[in-house]
Amino acid sequence: MTETMGMFTDTSLCIGCKACEVACHQWNSLPANLAEQPYANNPGLTYPMTGNSYDNTGALSAENWRHVRFIEQSELPDRSDLRWLMMSDGCKHCANASCEQVCPTGAIVRTEFGSTYIQEQVCTGCRDCVAACPFGVIHISETADHRQGTARKCTFCYDRLQHGLQPACAQTCPTSAIRFGPINELRTYAHQRLAELQHAGELRAILYGADESILGGLHSFYLLLDSPATYGLPDNPKAAAQTVIPSSLFSIGGAIVMGLASLLAFRRRRMAQNAALAES
Amino acid sequence: MELERIVVAPDWHWLVVFYFFLGGIAAGAYFMAALIELVGTEQDRKLAKVAYYFTFPLVVVCGVLLIVDLGRPERFWHMLLQPETGRPMLKFWSPMSVGSWTLMLFGSMAGISFVGVLAEDGHLGLGRFQTIAHALHRGPIGTTFELLAAGVGFFIAAYTGVLLTATSQPFWSDSPLLGALFLSSAASTGIAVILLSCRKTCASLERLEMADSWANGLELLLIAGFLISMGTLAVPFISSSYGLLLLIGVALIGLVVPLALRFAPQLLGKYTTPVAAVLVLVGGFVLRYSIVMAGQSNVIAAR
Repeated sequence: MTETMGMFTDTSLCIGCKACEVACHQWNSLPANLAEQPYANNPGLTYPMTGNSYDNTGALSAENWRHVRFIEQSELPDRSDLRWLMMSDGCKHCANASCEQVCPTGAIVRTEFGSTYIQEQVCTGCRDCVAACPFGVIHISETADHRQGTARKCTFCYDRLQHGLQPACAQTCPTSAIRFGPINELRTYAHQRLAELQHAGELRAILYGADESILGGLHSFYLLLDSPATYGLPDNPKAAAQTVIPSSLFSIGGAIVMGLASLLAFRRRRMAQNAALAES
Repeated sequence: MELERIVVAPDWHWLVVFYFFLGGIAAGAYFMAALIELVGTEQDRKLAKVAYYFTFPLVVVCGVLLIVDLGRPERFWHMLLQPETGRPMLKFWSPMSVGSWTLMLFGSMAGISFVGVLAEDGHLGLGRFQTIAHALHRGPIGTTFELLAAGVGFFIAAYTGVLLTATSQPFWSDSPLLGALFLSSAASTGIAVILLSCRKTCASLERLEMADSWANGLELLLIAGFLISMGTLAVPFISSSYGLLLLIGVALIGLVVPLALRFAPQLLGKYTTPVAAVLVLVGGFVLRYSIVMAGQSNVIAAR
């Protein structure tokens, strides 16, 4: 197996330029998926803007595999204390990936680089992976082409990795907020970077997914300047497969109760019948 | 700032709700039929035969519902075989994968039972295969078949709940009791259809109603357990329209009222059995609807 590769997104370096989004669309031939803000004066028409932020992508979707979140933090009414957090979000390529665990067709596989990858030609569009992803990454394609109805997400630029290149977003990032490389080296670097920031007074800075505590480790992990919830990330997501065993055990318990109930209801009759037969 | 919902809903809507409901009836009726054959008398068999007449057609409908719900229906067979190699595709830790295989097995067994009762009753010119059909419920072959049938029925009845739990959606993934809850509902709705299908012609109906009361009681306990196991999420759930549906539509109308009717049959006289059965069916449908929809709604903003 090839070395496990990782991506480290340092949100303290992100300037919100969205070059990663553009590079992703370019390389993966993804059509634009614009926000749709209703036109006040022209019912039925929409602006390609969210209308409440410089973020006009809005959310991850079947075509937006990267999305720069813009989070405005302000406590004062005149907003003079405004702090802007930016985070280039995408698939986390979890070590314990719920999507890969539940996928009934094996369409979602683990690649030799440690990333998760959806084989579009195998996917049936059952949407179990959509339900399972704790980050809301996977979406079903609605475009009228050969991908219609299948699950889609970031591929970690699997085609580029096979040729020794790095993912398009990491390659294009002008501030190196997105770094790509062997995951162990990145983790070491991330801890150094965290210490630097904390030393400089960013006391709320944390690493997210850099160790195994979150889903066995995220292959695409983050340095955040605030709590995960601020960035719309779950604090402690569960892997889907870990719920199967307790849930199955309770179901077996239910089956035993129903089996015993039927036994009680019908057994007495059988015993009476057998007794009658024995007498006659 | 209000956080948006983090997880994305899978858009499992009416087709899935109907599959859970009809599949539950088929599975519940099938395992009850198998249990009746295993422990009941020859008179009780009539109830099992009635179940075999309707389980197979229901499983066929379920298969169609599931295939139509796929984003790519023409690829449904990828659930069973790997398209590249043609080798079997089975992941025992994926509820949907195991469910697909067991549903195939369930359909096949229900089909055999269906042809079996047709032969026993001499329908469609199958009467000459009566001796083969009798083997399905007599001797070691019959016992093996019935034990397997009960197991497969129990699995199909419960796995849909386990499947919902093995996700990251709110409510679904917060309780380990959904599988057991769906199983108890499958038992009572399956029994309800048997009761409605042969209330004039079958003996031992009161035995079946007793089993149904057990199932209803178990389901009430599991609903309470489900709410308790959700912890702090129980409050937003109960105050949502789906929570009210669960409490009023399922617990009250679908469980408490049928139980009360059976313990006080003088209230409705000869209508007690059919009215209770219909209410149980309504409750079974509302249960699937409220739980399937609640997990995908915006009842709680952040997850």
